[in-house]
Amino acid sequence: MSGVSLQNVTKSYGSLTVIPDLSLDIAEGEFVVFVGPSGCGKSTTLRMIAGLEKVSGGQIFIGGRDVTWERPKSRDIAMVFQSYALYPHMNVADNMSFALRLAGTPKSEINERVRRAADMLELTDYLHRKPRDLSGGQRQRVAMGRSIVRDAYCFLFDEPLSNLDAKLRASMRTELALLHKQLERTMVYVTHDQIEAMTMADRIVIMKDGVIQQVGTPKDVYNTPVNTFVATFIGSPSMTLLPGELSEQSGSMRIHGSGFELPIPDRLKSRAGASPTKAVTMGMRPEHFAAEARTEAFAPVNLEVKVAEYIGSSQFLAANLGGQDVTAAVEVGPEADLLGDGQYYFDTSRLYLFDRETGQAL
Amino acid sequence: MNDTFQRQLYHYSALIFLALIALAPIWVMVATSFKDDVLVQDGTPLWFFFHPTLENYEYILTRGKFDRYLTNSIIVGVASTIITLLLGGFCAYALARLDFKGRALMANSTLLVRMVPPAVLAVPAFAFVTLTGVDSDLAVLTFFYTALNLPFAIWLLFGFYKQIPVELEEAAIVDGASPLQVFFKVLFPLMTSGYAVAAIFTFRIAWNEFILALLLTGRTTRTLPVGAAGFITDTGIEWGRIMAMGTLIVIPPLLFTFFAARQIIAGMTAGAVKG
Repeated sequence: MSGVSLQNVTKSYGSLTVIPDLSLDIAEGEFVVFVGPSGCGKSTTLRMIAGLEKVSGGQIFIGGRDVTWERPKSRDIAMVFQSYALYPHMNVADNMSFALRLAGTPKSEINERVRRAADMLELTDYLHRKPRDLSGGQRQRVAMGRSIVRDAYCFLFDEPLSNLDAKLRASMRTELALLHKQLERTMVYVTHDQIEAMTMADRIVIMKDGVIQQVGTPKDVYNTPVNTFVATFIGSPSMTLLPGELSEQSGSMRIHGSGFELPIPDRLKSRAGASPTKAVTMGMRPEHFAAEARTEAFAPVNLEVKVAEYIGSSQFLAANLGGQDVTAAVEVGPEADLLGDGQYYFDTSRLYLFDRETGQAL
Repeated sequence: MNDTFQRQLYHYSALIFLALIALAPIWVMVATSFKDDVLVQDGTPLWFFFHPTLENYEYILTRGKFDRYLTNSIIVGVASTIITLLLGGFCAYALARLDFKGRALMANSTLLVRMVPPAVLAVPAFAFVTLTGVDSDLAVLTFFYTALNLPFAIWLLFGFYKQIPVELEEAAIVDGASPLQVFFKVLFPLMTSGYAVAAIFTFRIAWNEFILALLLTGRTTRTLPVGAAGFITDTGIEWGRIMAMGTLIVIPPLLFTFFAARQIIAGMTAGAVKG
């Protein structure tokens, strides 16, 4: 199998196990994003793929080749570091061509490849500048350029955008997605920013404590999170979790808790019915609140609004529902006044249920 | 007079004052080296207006063993500097990058060794030579100067290595560089300032060292400072010749420092990381 494949990879430092057992297949040409809170082992995983960290157990395949014990240079990978790691004593062109020069690539080919990468990244005018004379965004692009000229089988990115300001980050995101389209290379990307993951990934790998929680397309992980961790990690603002009890009255399943009683949507009925426990956690995404009922699935909830934040066509509400904190994002149009206490509606067809004990989705 | 002018006036006055204090002894040395015996013994401090003579220089360059002392000094100075930088560089790199037991303690305690004045080592050094029976004085002296300078060199280079982000090495490794290529193509170019500073200090200390050299060298293996002290005789101190020798001794480290200091570029790693 080609692409990148991790098989039962483990990593420990002494008695501390960082990655207990990780298996994952990444298809050739796929853009996979590892996401998770800091210390979840995503960077360690990436560094093991790169060969900068040795695995404690398991195997790593790149392009169908077992590279578990290969040096980084023979893995056919290129890597972009969070800190860019540009060689400060070399100008942009030399930075980009360093790997090729080491590999003994003919000069004409080096020049051609650097020129092409510089074109792609709009760095042509800066080829003779030193990194210290570049802006943050330009440095970031040089770091990308350095990996592009390699024409490696697999590209690895270790939080490459986290040092940029918000605006630049957004535009670099677009550039990266474009780059992936042009190069059609396997890309593995690590970030703690779920927005980056959602916007760029073909598939997202959500990690926590060295364990993969869920692998899936952005749509998958947003719509069907496997547990409360994924549910709250993906989505912004993040999902509100409230404790509730399942009950059945005359054939209709409902969930009730402090300050609310809502019907269980059809898609969850059978699983809710089969649930061994009635004590569950209900998940409500802020964006599924509305000011008025748009369909039959919208059920009224009374929110006591503590703070309303105007962000244009929506408002974020930090509210209170039966004594518990709830976040709602209500679309009311840009002209609306700041929202206050009152009745709002929640789209119960988008409701999530989790086992309160295990946190697993029902 | 505005404020900035006044402040600059103070600054420059202070600087000039300090410079005078620093330079006065050197001027006395240089001036004395151009005086004949009579003028020196005269007692009236003549700073500028006297009839200069090259008699002292002529004497030490033709009648003394200046060339031999100079060769010895250069051998010992250069050899101990090269060995110190080589070993010190390795140690500093290991302390800055590798994780091993006792690393912090070692990194912090290297300088303590430097606190021991060389004179304290004179007796043990002499005992060492007598007991081991090593008969190459210059090799022994090189050995001791290296030992003496290593802690400082390690400490200094350690600081420089720590400034280099480890990602640079990793990037080079991913780019396909071998360990030696990582060192020579990425690390060393960024470390030239550090090595230059370390070289200036180690060479200067080795060049000027007197007590160990006096103790451990013989007639043919004397270094320049010991040679200069040879003009202190039973029949009197030949100030003119000592000063002429001193003046000549100053020149090589001055040239060396001038050359090495050109390698010192502040902010060498600027632009390596972040924005």
